[in-house]
Amino acid sequence: MEKTSYGDSAEFPQIETPQMRRYQTSETVDAVVIGTGAGGSPLLARLAEAGLKVVALEAGKYWSPAEDFATDEVAQNKLFWNDERLSAGGDPVAFGKNNSGIGVGGSTLHYTAYTPRSHADDLRLNTEFGVGVDWCLSYEDLEPYYNEIENFLGISGFSPYPWSEPNRQKYPLPPLPLNGAAQLMERGCRHLNIKTVPAANAALSENYYQKNIGWRHACTNRGFCQAGCSTGAKGSMDVTYIPLAVSFGAEIRAESFATNFEFDGAGKINAVVYVRDGVTEKQLCKNVFLCGGAIETPRFLLMNDLANSSGQVGKNFMAHTGIQVWGQFDEAVRPFKGIPGALISEDTHRPQNADFAGGYLLQSIGVMPVTYAGQVARGRKIWGEQLRECMNRYNHTAGINILGECLPSDENFVELSDEKDARGLPKPRVHFTNGENEKRLTKHAEKLMTEIWKAAGATDIWSFPRNAHIIGTCRMGTDAESAVVNEKGQSFDIPNLYISDNSTFPSALSVNPALTIMALSLRTADGFLESSMFNV
Amino acid sequence: MDIYPIGTVRKLLTTDAVTEPTRKALEKRLSETENYQPKFFDAAEFALLDAVCRRLIIQDEDVEFVNCAAFIDKSLSENESNGWRYDKLPNDAETFRGGIGGINETAQNKFGAEFVKLNESQQNEILTEIQTGKAAVKTWMTLSAKLFFEELLAKAVEVYYAHPFAQERIGYVGMADASGWTQIKLNEREPREPEKIGDSAA
Repeated sequence: MEKTSYGDSAEFPQIETPQMRRYQTSETVDAVVIGTGAGGSPLLARLAEAGLKVVALEAGKYWSPAEDFATDEVAQNKLFWNDERLSAGGDPVAFGKNNSGIGVGGSTLHYTAYTPRSHADDLRLNTEFGVGVDWCLSYEDLEPYYNEIENFLGISGFSPYPWSEPNRQKYPLPPLPLNGAAQLMERGCRHLNIKTVPAANAALSENYYQKNIGWRHACTNRGFCQAGCSTGAKGSMDVTYIPLAVSFGAEIRAESFATNFEFDGAGKINAVVYVRDGVTEKQLCKNVFLCGGAIETPRFLLMNDLANSSGQVGKNFMAHTGIQVWGQFDEAVRPFKGIPGALISEDTHRPQNADFAGGYLLQSIGVMPVTYAGQVARGRKIWGEQLRECMNRYNHTAGINILGECLPSDENFVELSDEKDARGLPKPRVHFTNGENEKRLTKHAEKLMTEIWKAAGATDIWSFPRNAHIIGTCRMGTDAESAVVNEKGQSFDIPNLYISDNSTFPSALSVNPALTIMALSLRTADGFLESSMFNV
Repeated sequence: MDIYPIGTVRKLLTTDAVTEPTRKALEKRLSETENYQPKFFDAAEFALLDAVCRRLIIQDEDVEFVNCAAFIDKSLSENESNGWRYDKLPNDAETFRGGIGGINETAQNKFGAEFVKLNESQQNEILTEIQTGKAAVKTWMTLSAKLFFEELLAKAVEVYYAHPFAQERIGYVGMADASGWTQIKLNEREPREPEKIGDSAA
């Protein structure tokens, strides 16, 4: 694996998965990690590297992207968490392709790879605006992890990054090339004096060597990040932290759906119960890391009535404001090519004279035809001849999108419904309604993006309001009364249970969550390794 | 309307420009509704769904037809989920069976005839009433007409634009990415990407 040179791309070494260690279910391992996405995988690697015996349970399959991934949106539905969720409230959130993933790598299998850092002020929203909540940790706590992860994944980005905290390290790789949508957004923003730079993405602008993994190939501009990268250029967990974890002796047990815990007499978990091939098995363990994401993690806890003395499990569900504005251009855009989110501006992180708390980032977006057609149907509500005309101009279509703050609210929560899914488990019902702050922020952004598109020469401009990312529901905090876990991700109720995923975010942040989920994951692992729990 | 040449995607499927898993997925799609017999809907319901799809998705007469109704029926018969549904709607099976019945009920109420017997403009009128929630027959008292219509339309366009015939019409060849793309900027095009060959009045 220690290859340091390579031939032409045809002979390029593929990422090798080292021989995987296996554990007996009757052997008491140091930790079971449930879920292999951005929350589970980094800590899995960290614990394995420290010499712990660790087993990861993943509900989905262990894919071989080169053989299994088609450049076809329908065929790739297999990457989405498609167990049905019931979307309630004033602004029902779309799941499936819009959010959670399944398979080794979790939703990183279909994330766009957009990896901005949070800002120091994102973590102090209440101090700054008197609404929302402050985090119980600071940017300084996350920064070393951001540095480490950017270097490990090989983030491509522009340095010096204009909107960074002081003394920020450079991105390890130069930016990815701009595609048509990015050029158009750059043009529109220039007219309006809005600064833009190529965005940070976890996709390689150059071939990149990773310790214990080998060489990963530079991105070939397939533009298909949201439905699976077949080349390994995208830094999804299955080609980064997972092989790293395996190289240190972790076991990945795929197609294993965790359903419950067993406890000893002292109230500590001593086994994780899961279903594999229709058979119920249990893995004996000393500790558990629950990393199922902001719907499946609270659902698991609610189904088993666990870790909820605070009453906060399932509460404060958040979803980023993510309105998109689309336009058509004289130029050919062919929006399926290149990294989809190629350009960024954070001039709107704290807009002047805003009538809302927080802010948002702007990004250019490419799009695949089936996804775009579905949005046209739901958003524009056109059909027949009008629909045909709109889709006929697909090759001339480009979008801009925001990713903005969403405040926690009592009205937005996850609960269990009476309806059972194919596994015989209660479907989650997710209540979500945008509050006044989200509505004002969205209005501000829609106006600005429309101006940008007009300045860039767009016609037939239309907006698609949406919310993206699932956040909250098991918030971290300083006390057992108001939070589910502490700043290290440890449950206040069950001392050998940790949560590591987007569910622990106390507030939404005005940036995409993936990089921060990974940072918290490593921080949770380090906190655990330093603590006495390790020596149980 | 831009006109793109016909047959581009099918031709690319025979070349190395397409990866093996991609070829497999698209070749399956090209053949999987041949001689299709409905499994979820009965014959009358299926004929109605087909008539509705022909109003939602206008297809060119000079290219092969994409049987959207068949893809929808197949997906429902396989209980395929897209991961969520509106809490206000019952499950997909009830929503679609109920909604298809509601379309006929609306047609009977307004024109005294089955939906499939109406002319195109009458059919459009019925669909518009349902989409905008103005149709007032029994079905829609317990099933949201607007949400049913949104689900039906989204499903119809998603099966249509996933099909190579439809992708050829809009000049999409993103599936031909085995070697990736280098010409990604505005107005840039690689030789395997089609150029439009003309315009037509819509």
